[in-house]
Amino acid sequence: MRFFGLWETVLTAPDPDRLTDLGKRLDELRTKQAEGAKRPPPNQSGIAFRFATELVAALIVGGGLGWGIDWLFGHFGFHTRPVFLILFFIVGIAAGIRNVMRAATEINAEIAKGQSSETDDARRNSPWP
Amino acid sequence: MALNPMEQFTIKPLIAEPLFSIAGHPIFFTNQALLMIVVVVASSLFLTLAVKPGRLVPTRGQSMAEISYEFVANMIHSATGEDGLKFFPFDFTLFMFVLCCNFFGMVPGSFTVTSQIAVTLALSCLVIGMVIVVGFMKHGIGFLKLFVPHAPWYLLILLIPIELISFLTRPISLSVRLFANMLAGHTLLAVFAGFVVSLGAAGGVFTGLAIAPMLLIVAIMLLELLVAFLQAYVFAILTCIYLNEALHLHDNH
Repeated sequence: MRFFGLWETVLTAPDPDRLTDLGKRLDELRTKQAEGAKRPPPNQSGIAFRFATELVAALIVGGGLGWGIDWLFGHFGFHTRPVFLILFFIVGIAAGIRNVMRAATEINAEIAKGQSSETDDARRNSPWP
Repeated sequence: MALNPMEQFTIKPLIAEPLFSIAGHPIFFTNQALLMIVVVVASSLFLTLAVKPGRLVPTRGQSMAEISYEFVANMIHSATGEDGLKFFPFDFTLFMFVLCCNFFGMVPGSFTVTSQIAVTLALSCLVIGMVIVVGFMKHGIGFLKLFVPHAPWYLLILLIPIELISFLTRPISLSVRLFANMLAGHTLLAVFAGFVVSLGAAGGVFTGLAIAPMLLIVAIMLLELLVAFLQAYVFAILTCIYLNEALHLHDNH
């Protein structure tokens, strides 16, 4: 039934009252069900790969931005060539580490969520209080 | 015998003459375009035909469509909350497109659209463009607060460029992750397939040994099916997370 309710709401849209009401009912249902049971757990190589891409992408963007600014200044006759490249590369490293930290908190939250729902399930299913 | 593992990623025009040209660049109908059309037609036909009977007790096809629908709806709801459901059609289309591209790429002899960085970068630029537009529409100029963390002013000189680069990183990391995963998996499969061929041709004891990489291919194939799903999932959930930030700014920090 939940499926058809949602389907209708998304297709015919608006009416915010019905939407929030539906949301409340959905939340109630969802707290009853095991939260996050459908989410695939993040595997280790996936996490490692995520960190690597975040870090490298930040370096590329930082370096590229610095190179672009140098090019722009060179275009107007100021020869700053390596200055902004180096500066923004360093900022890019910082941004990369920031990205990795953010990704780590996200993954931690996801893992914590999965574990808590698992222990909740275990508690609910166990014959002892 | 073509043993080049990268050969499977070459884009070939299927019709010798270009369809039309944009600013002097001829546009060909390539194997990539064909696969994209196949994916779009197949997934939309499947989703519409599968839910057509609308039974209370779903058939296998209907239940597949419903599960994928609910999976994405739950994902958006848990990542962005109520107001994120407006973006359900967008995110569901993205998810189904990437998922079907990955799965159609697993069919031997076909072509993996998502192993082309041009495709994945275009998709992720679409996502980030959407995030920026939504952010400015919802918060006006206040969207720029996303780049201003809570910190003393003298640190902001350093932190704002860092946050800005961190934001600009997203389309690249989003596209590279999908592209590199598909590229690596399919290259690995082709390399091991090459081992089978060369061991089989070596003669003597080696011919019998050719069964080892063959079995390994089966295992990698299973792993690749998992990766195909997982990468589509990651692409869709990161879209949700980015949209959530555009909708709610610093709420979740």
